[in-house]
Formats: sequence, C-alpha cells, structure tokens
Amino acid sequence: MSCNCVVIVREVWDTRDLIGSILDEAGHIKPGALQTRFEPEDLNALEVALRIKDQQGGKITAIAVGAPRGVEVLRECLYRGADAAVQVDADASVLDDRALSVLLAAAVKKTDAPDLVLTGTSVVDGENAMLGAMLAAELAWDHVAWVDAVEAVAGGQAVVKRAIEMGYETVQTPLPSVISIGVALLEDDPRSPRPAKAMLKLKMKKTPIPVLTPAELGVADPAALVTTRVTRRESVPPRVIESRQVDPEDVAALKTMLNEVLKGK
Amino acid sequence: MAKIAVFAEIEDGAIHDICLQCMSKARALAGLDGRVVALAAGRGVSETAAKLFGYGADEVYAADHAALAGYISRPFRTLTAGWLVEQAPAAALFPATTLGLDLAASVAGVLSSAGVLYADDVRLAGDDRTARRIEFDRKVVTDYAAADGRMLIIALRDGAADAASFDAGRTGAVKAVSVAPDFVGAAKVLKRDVAKKTINLKGARVIVAGGAGVGSLENFSWIRDLASALGAEIGATRAVVDAGWLPADHQIGQTGATVKPDLYIACGISGAVQHRVGMQDSGKIIAINTDPNAPIFKIAHYRIVGDLKAVIPKLIQLLKS
Ligand SMILES: Cc1cc2nc3c(=O)[nH]c(=O)nc-3n(C[C@H](O)[C@H](O)[C@H](O)COP(=O)(O)OP(=O)(O)OC[C@H]3O[C@@H](n4cnc5c(N)ncnc54)[C@H](O)[C@@H]3O)c2cc1C
Repeated sequence: MSCNCVVIVREVWDTRDLIGSILDEAGHIKPGALQTRFEPEDLNALEVALRIKDQQGGKITAIAVGAPRGVEVLRECLYRGADAAVQVDADASVLDDRALSVLLAAAVKKTDAPDLVLTGTSVVDGENAMLGAMLAAELAWDHVAWVDAVEAVAGGQAVVKRAIEMGYETVQTPLPSVISIGVALLEDDPRSPRPAKAMLKLKMKKTPIPVLTPAELGVADPAALVTTRVTRRESVPPRVIESRQVDPEDVAALKTMLNEVLKGK
Repeated sequence: MAKIAVFAEIEDGAIHDICLQCMSKARALAGLDGRVVALAAGRGVSETAAKLFGYGADEVYAADHAALAGYISRPFRTLTAGWLVEQAPAAALFPATTLGLDLAASVAGVLSSAGVLYADDVRLAGDDRTARRIEFDRKVVTDYAAADGRMLIIALRDGAADAASFDAGRTGAVKAVSVAPDFVGAAKVLKRDVAKKTINLKGARVIVAGGAGVGSLENFSWIRDLASALGAEIGATRAVVDAGWLPADHQIGQTGATVKPDLYIACGISGAVQHRVGMQDSGKIIAINTDPNAPIFKIAHYRIVGDLKAVIPKLIQLLKS
C-alpha cells in the first residue's frame, strides 16, 4: 500500500549555546543575533517520510509558512526527495502555533488524500512548538508525539514507536493521523537524515513552488487567530557565580576544593 | 477570586511529582478564596485522585475508564477540553511531562486558548493572564499573555514550584466524569516498555554525573568509585543513556530529572542547555573536562581542565586519605 505524506517544515532560530546579549534596549531580538537553521526534528520528519516512500511508495508534499525562509526549507525538501512543495504566504514570525495550525490544517486539506502528516515535536528552547498537537486538534485527527520511528503503515493504521519518560510505547494510530517526530533519529544514526542529492538539486532548482494565500485557505486575517502574545522580553542577567580554575596537577588545590565543597558533611 | 484547574497525571497509583508542583502553584494563584479544581484521567485512577484534596484541591474529578489505560491524544484532549469548558478556569496547569506537554498543546488547540509549554511562572491579575518562560539558552525571559481574556493553558516546568505538602485533614468526594467520547477507530497503545525507577536523584545531596567523555561502559567504574567514595548518586547525560551505559532513570536534564543537590560533579559532560536546565541550580558544581571551552564551565564553581581518567583517581585518593 502506498502512503502519501505531508511534511510540515520550519526554519527556526538556533538557540544553542548563545554568546552575548540577544536583546536590544527595547527588549526586541537584535537583528542578526540569532542564526537560523532547518528545524532538526522537521528534518527527521522528512527522513521518516522518505523512508516510508522508499519502502512502499507514495507522494511526499512539503508545506511551510512564510517567505523567504519558508521557501528555502521547501527547496531543501525537494533536493532531499520530496515530490512537491507548497508555500503558505503569511509572516510566520508574527503568528503563534495556534494561528499557524489553522492555516496549515486548511493547506493539508487542499493536499490530495494524505495518509500521514509529519512534523517535528520540537520543544526547543525559545520556540513554543505545539504545532503537531494543535494541527491534529484543528483537523480533528489523532496525534502521536515524540515518535522515534514509524514501524509500519498498513491496513488503515500506522504503528509508531513513541519515546516517553523511562522508555518507549508502541502506538497504533488510524490513518490519517498527525505524527510529531522526536530528535532520536538524528542522534542515533549518523547517516540520517539523508543529505540533498546533486541530481535533484539540478532538477528541482527552478521548479515553481505554488503559493497559497490565507484568503485561499479561508482565513481573512491570520493575525486575528493569534491566542498568545509576547508582552515583554528581558535579558536574564548573567549568573554571577564564584568560579575558579583548579589545576588537576596541584594536589593541595584539589584538597582545598574538596574541603570546601564537603564542608559540614 | 481566581479558579485554577490542574491536570493530575497518575501512574501506577502515584501522582506525578510535577503535578504536586502544579498543585502548589495553583493554590498560590487561587489564593484563599479562589478554587483549585483537579482532573485525573486513566484506568483505575479514582482512588489515587482522592489524595488531590490533601494536596490542596477544592474539587476533584476523575475520568476513570478502561479505554483510557494508555495515553492517546484524541480521547484525552476531547474529555479534558470538555471538562475545562464546564469549569471555565482562568488558567489550567499541566505537568511538563511527555504526556502533559502533548495534552496541554492539544487542549489549547481544541479550545483556541493561549498555550505555553515549559512555563516557569504564571501571573494572574484581572484580565492579565500571563505565563513566563526562561528561554533562548536561558538568556531571555519572555512573558506570554493570553490574548483577549482567553484561558491560559500551560505546562509547568519541573522545578518551577515546590511540591505541595500533604494535609491528611483535607478530604472530599471525587466526582466522576462520564467518558462518552467516541473511541471507535481511535488509536491505542499496543505495548509499553519502560524501566522501573531504581534511584531517587531528586533526593540526592551529592551527584556524580558522567557524560559521553567517560568514553565507555567499562570506564564508568571511575564514576561509580568516585560516587561511592562520596556517598553520592550517579547521574548521566542523555548521550550516556542513549549509548546504553546507564538506564534512563539516571538521566538529568530537560527530558530527565531536574536536580538541586548540594554538590554536582560533572565528568566529561559538555554542558548542552538540555542538560544544564536539569542541574544548574545545584549548590556547588565541579566540572572536569578536557575542553577548556566546554559550556559546562560557564556554570561551574570549580573548573578542572583535564582528563577525567587522571583526575578522578586523584580525587578518590584524597577522599580516602
Ligand atoms: C529535545 C532534546 C532533549 C534533550 N534532553 C536531554 C536531557 O534531558 N539530558 C541531557 O543530558 N541531554 C539532553 N539532550 C541532549 C543534549 O543536547 C546533548 O546532546 C547531551 O547532553 C550531550 O551529552 P554529553 O555532554 O555527555 O556529550 P558531549 O556533548 O559529546 O560531550 C562530551 C564532553 O566530554 C569531554 N571529554 C571527552 N573526553 C574527555 C576526557 N577523557 N576527560 C574529560 N572530558 C572529556 C568533551 O570535551 C566534551 O565536552 C537533549 C537534546 C534534545 C534535542
């Protein structure tokens, strides 16, 4: 049985190991203070879709909101093996996940008969990342989050492996479902996700990416769908801790350190 | 006054620790004349749910049904959203567990409410319903306000509040929530493969934690020896758990335990933010790492740049003498 997948992809801020202050005086994020990257769990979601396609065939449609960032990640999907891409024309940076989920649910419904919608669970620091859950709620479909692997898609059901505290669960979910993928693939398998293919780059470089406007998706004003507003941003003062270097060759220094930390024990 | 709802996650007859933190947060937000209402859902949860009165709930509801034995988004979000519409609280608190995060986001989607995951704090004042989160590598604190007086739905980060204490004098009758959503064709949990918790990292005064820099399963004997010399518990990064060197209950960080021991010794740990959030409030932190630029050194009180295979034996020797 072939399986059609929609993959929702995002470009996000890279909030790992930031150096220096990110905010200006007014509490806004300084332009250029943060790099962006293809959301790693969305890349995993694409990889999951590609593996399903490798095994049983089907069509992969990638959808992203916004330009030009959205377009770049969409091209990247085409270069890695997605069959089609659709761009939703709205400014993702002023929308929250609830507003995005309404736009994306409408876009998914315009995609012919998807069996699975895949995206990253991605509760990365500084991103609200509730997209998969809210999208499933909007579509009134089932949702499974923190999925490490889709083990089988057959007989109108998908069987997936979900990471939970202290272990795993095997979950069966009816088609169509929304599946939010976790981070494990990236960490466990050095070959995954697969890189872009030079041949596909040549072929897909100029492929037009169709655009859907909010109006075409039945949304007059996407900003009116926002449920959560950022009202204040402030820098956290750097933690001032008394810190000192201890030379591992200096036994007396190591001893002083142990005495200090074990005081009263 | 304010009415606050809490979703209580119950597993194997125990209320999840972060839910107890949600209970104390809810009590503080509701104030003396406000109300705290709690909901538990699952199979056979009613009896444990009654304890929620002792932890500060004014009303306790339980959706107790065989079909809720495993967590599945759709039935849980339908029934929780329905209950929240009836209760109409100002805010609903979920624990930031894999279950609580998914349910909070799902319910916020169903109700078109304001949703904030990993909230560190909540503020309610009149129409102002705001959740605060420390984010961007813990460099920025952001306030998220619910637009247009919507219900605020949050998943509370582990450690954001003290756990509520139990008052045996507070009791009450658990009200049953009828479970009538359509489960036909719905997803189900086929198999569960979870390790039993064998250690209590949260209660430990001293933790010796190892990271990928330890190098191998055999090398973990260094960590064990240092821990036993200190009477410490053993912690680990996710890299170590993923490599199978230690079971998952040793993991510290965003998807593991949040700990605040008096002393934390980080050996061969780079200090990724997902690890730091779980241990940075430790009383004293000693870091041993070969890389002088490892981020862990930014939060360490004692920075030892060196090979743990050389440093740890010295520490053990000093402790024994
Ligand atoms: C959504 C998500 C959730 C996550 N949750 C968690 C979590 O809960 N907990 C967690 O820990 N991680 C978590 N991670 C993973 C996290 O991002 C890091 O990958 C992980 O913490 C790295 O572990 P590490 O420090 O052991 O390994 P590495 O980053 O590989 O660091 C190894 C360190 O050891 C040092 N070293 C090497 N050899 C020696 C030696 N001989 N002596 C001394 N030092 C040496 C190296 O210099 C290096 O700094 C999560 C990631 C994501 C995306």
